Amino acid sequence: MSASVELKNASVTFGNFYAAKNINVKINGGEFFSFLGPSGCGKTTLLRAISGFQDLSEGEVLIDGVDMSRIGPNKRPTSLIFQNLALFPLMSVADNISFSLEVRGVDKKKRRSRANELIELMALDGQGEKMVHQLSGGQKQRVAIARALAIEPKVLLLDEPLSALDLKLRQRMRTELRAIQKRVNITFIYITHDQSEALTMSDRIAVMNEGEIEQIGLCADVYNKPLTPFVATFVGENNSIDGKLTEVSSNEATISTENGSFKSCLNNSDGKYSIGDEVFLFIRPEALELAKNGNFDNVIDINIDTFEFEGNIKNYFAKLGSNKKIKFSIPNSVDTSDIHSGSNIQIGFNKLNSVILKKGQLAVDT
Amino acid sequence: MSNRLINYSLIFYIITFFVFLFGPLIIMSITAFNSADFPRISPWDCLSFRWFNEGMVDYVGQHQAGLLTDQKLKEGFYNSIFIGFFVVLLTVPIGLAAALVLTQINPKLRELFYSLSIMPVLFPGVIIGISTVVLWNRLSGLSDEGILSEVGRNGIFLTILAQTCFISTYCFLIFVARLQRFDRSQEEAALDLGATQTQVFFKILLPYLAPAIGSSAVIAFLASFENYNTTVFSILSDRTLTTVIASKVRLGITPAISALAFAIIVITVLAVIIYEFYKRRVDRLKKIEEQTLLASQSSDSRVQKIEIPKINFIKPLSFFIIIAIILSILFTQVLKNNLYGDACIANVEEEKKRKIEEQRKLEEEKFKLSEEDLQSGNKGGNSAFGDIFNSDLFEY
Amino acid sequence: MNLFSSLIKKNGPIIGTYLLIAIIFWFIFLIIIPQLYMVDLSFRPNLSPLERGGDKDFYTLEHYKHFLFGSAGSNNYFNVVDISVFFKTIFISIIVTILNLLFCYPIAFYIAKVAQPNSARFLIIALIIPFWINELLRSFALRVLLANEGVINTFLTQIGLIDTGLLFITNNVGLYSGLTYAYLLLMMFPLYNAIESLDKNQLEAAKDLGSSTFWTHIRVVIPHAKPGIVSGCTMVFMLTVGALATPVVLGGPNTLWFPELIYQWFKMSNNWSRGAAYSFLLLIISVIFVLTMMRLFKVRIGEIIK
Repeated sequence: MSASVELKNASVTFGNFYAAKNINVKINGGEFFSFLGPSGCGKTTLLRAISGFQDLSEGEVLIDGVDMSRIGPNKRPTSLIFQNLALFPLMSVADNISFSLEVRGVDKKKRRSRANELIELMALDGQGEKMVHQLSGGQKQRVAIARALAIEPKVLLLDEPLSALDLKLRQRMRTELRAIQKRVNITFIYITHDQSEALTMSDRIAVMNEGEIEQIGLCADVYNKPLTPFVATFVGENNSIDGKLTEVSSNEATISTENGSFKSCLNNSDGKYSIGDEVFLFIRPEALELAKNGNFDNVIDINIDTFEFEGNIKNYFAKLGSNKKIKFSIPNSVDTSDIHSGSNIQIGFNKLNSVILKKGQLAVDT
Repeated sequence: MSNRLINYSLIFYIITFFVFLFGPLIIMSITAFNSADFPRISPWDCLSFRWFNEGMVDYVGQHQAGLLTDQKLKEGFYNSIFIGFFVVLLTVPIGLAAALVLTQINPKLRELFYSLSIMPVLFPGVIIGISTVVLWNRLSGLSDEGILSEVGRNGIFLTILAQTCFISTYCFLIFVARLQRFDRSQEEAALDLGATQTQVFFKILLPYLAPAIGSSAVIAFLASFENYNTTVFSILSDRTLTTVIASKVRLGITPAISALAFAIIVITVLAVIIYEFYKRRVDRLKKIEEQTLLASQSSDSRVQKIEIPKINFIKPLSFFIIIAIILSILFTQVLKNNLYGDACIANVEEEKKRKIEEQRKLEEEKFKLSEEDLQSGNKGGNSAFGDIFNSDLFEY
Repeated sequence: MNLFSSLIKKNGPIIGTYLLIAIIFWFIFLIIIPQLYMVDLSFRPNLSPLERGGDKDFYTLEHYKHFLFGSAGSNNYFNVVDISVFFKTIFISIIVTILNLLFCYPIAFYIAKVAQPNSARFLIIALIIPFWINELLRSFALRVLLANEGVINTFLTQIGLIDTGLLFITNNVGLYSGLTYAYLLLMMFPLYNAIESLDKNQLEAAKDLGSSTFWTHIRVVIPHAKPGIVSGCTMVFMLTVGALATPVVLGGPNTLWFPELIYQWFKMSNNWSRGAAYSFLLLIISVIFVLTMMRLFKVRIGEIIK
């Protein structure tokens, strides 16, 4: 059983401050949906509004088409997994898991069997009688999920539950969460500031900034076809070069910059762009390659500054012209023996691997 | 000054400090075992437990009660327990409620709320006692009959109210301290899982606060039991242990009080020792658990070996054994020298009676000589101060 | 009403009602109304219950006048006895507070920063034990020592150092040492807690930078421990200035401590409104002291009592 969740013109204000502004989004039943954004962008507020801990100032929350405004958090068909998990430290694992049944007056035998079912589902065998503090981080995570699933909610809300784990465990839990979602087949709404987490698990993503949604779409679309400079720079890394449009067609354009003219893709079906507009050109580090290794639509002259070895890839930081910086990544397998700090080389990219967007706010590195 | 010198003088100071802290208590405890009718060490009459039991009948035939035979002490003791019980029943829920409200109230009001909550402990105790008494006296004066006039003049009832006023603050502070470490998301998690607010309170909050409830109950009872400043006003014509002690002391000091103090000291020390052992045991179990968990999760060979901290029984045990040996040696010496038992007491009393007789004869002769002087002299005391300073005013 | 509805909303009807009843009972019926009524009573003449609310029940300053000028028949223009008791009580309380601070600071520092964990724990227990014992009984212990025929006097006479007993009690030595003894722990614990929270690295850094022990305390430890010092001093002063048990046990025949004066008006002379007036004076002193401490050392009331 899963349910759709819809936010209609939803706003939350604290005094003069908009924590969330005019949010419109429809999340389908059975979908794994993520809200992605920097801390303070209002995504947690939205989650609390869906779960019922936060009243909306305007707009409404619909779950399966039903308005939730008069329904308290304990009556909504949602379960929330907290950032710190909020397991009950004074109860055993089994008691934690069957808590939601206990408060509904389900008898002990049924509680027991449901708890055992979930313990098995979450691969927690033999941990039922332990206290929470005797578990490892990953086990706690699974207990929190089991607890939330016990009453078979229609929607599971997850508030950055992986942020406290170390890298290896975090990566493993991503796969696991995705698998669990497929198994129980309910709507997952996931909150995170970590773009790789959102990209690996989700069906669709909403990128948020300063209380507003910047873009909603499939993972690949958000990554490859960002609609705003913020999305372009927040989701994954991006090099940005500013300039003016000199040629515009319906799906292509030429941008003139201090470092030359480049051809790139442009979504101008609605005729928003015209010649002379101030724009950014975005090229991902992995879209840049050594020019000598192929034919490219665009070629740039750069001066290598520093170099970083990351294992599977090599990162180069280079000077572009007098004051711009550019980063590009090359697979480890490519021979780079002739590239040194200070060498002048050429790199290139294809227009399909870049995008032009109107000037706007960029994501700040934190 | 060299560091070493500073350290030595610091340690010397600490030892002196503790001698001053414990010296009076120890000496007082010893006086409880002297059969003399005045708490003293020298001259030592006889080793005796009579101040714990029946007390003594002095040579003019007046009975000086011992600890167990003193009816007033007994009555006061029972009243104190009764009052303490009800004070706990009131203060723990009040302190809990106030602490919970403090966490929910909006920040602007919070400072005011906090100030109001801690005001009672900043007020001198006498004021709380007096204000309770005057208010309830007025209330009971409003009607001639009925419950109001009954309870308004009931010292025990008033004492419970007056003590509740400021002891609630102690409980409040204990709860606030515990609630500060409470993870609020647990409440939300429970709500989210379908619990009603009442269920959240009983299933999440109360179990979390259980240790604070225990300790605030103990603190509230102790504070009530040993309160004097407030109680002496609010108790009216009844009596509690502390008011009985105070009036006894004011009338003249007797070893029965020493005996009482000794009993309380022994109970206190035992309670502390038991608590300490319990706490160390809990700490130790916790440590073992932590290490087991660490070892099970880590492949680091340094934490694989579990070291279990042991409780060192030998040190405290040897301490007690040494004390027991010293006491038994002292006791055999006392027995050898005939310093214990009824015979000894009878001897000493005989001796005393004889001395007093002699003294009296001497006095009588003197009195005859000086009678004329006295009649013309000034007999009055501190007339300027009126009767304020007369000690018998402190009789209850 | 806003508070009411938000409490009900946050806690549900049952718990919300309990919270409301509990805090209203405490704040209104146990704290505010009795205090206000006491202040009110202090401005009224001393009447029998029957006369309350009658013609004679009007507002008057007679009790405060009595505190300043004494009864009409007395020889002095001012009420020398009461006023001097009042100021002596305040003065001695301040001295006692300062002594307590001086006595406790080295111990608190030693336990918090010098001692090994085990011995620190032992010392703390050793500090707590005496203070679990009733204030009256602790004062009594001192009285056993200091009475005219007490342990110290008999000892000194026996070894021949003095001929007649020293009058500790009569000369108030007993009272003052009793007051100092009574509330040591309430100075010790705030101090200890404050010093304990100081990072040991700061001490080492100060030493490393060439500071002497003395200057380390002046510049590092004491500023850090300020809230604890203020808290301890406030508690000790308030308790000392309002002390009744210790003066009752250790006061000499001619000694008066201000709360004893209140006690006498109230209990002996049955003049309740005068007792209330004198209580109000005591209350004002207490409030002034707390406010002064807060202003002087720039601490909030929450830091004084934790």
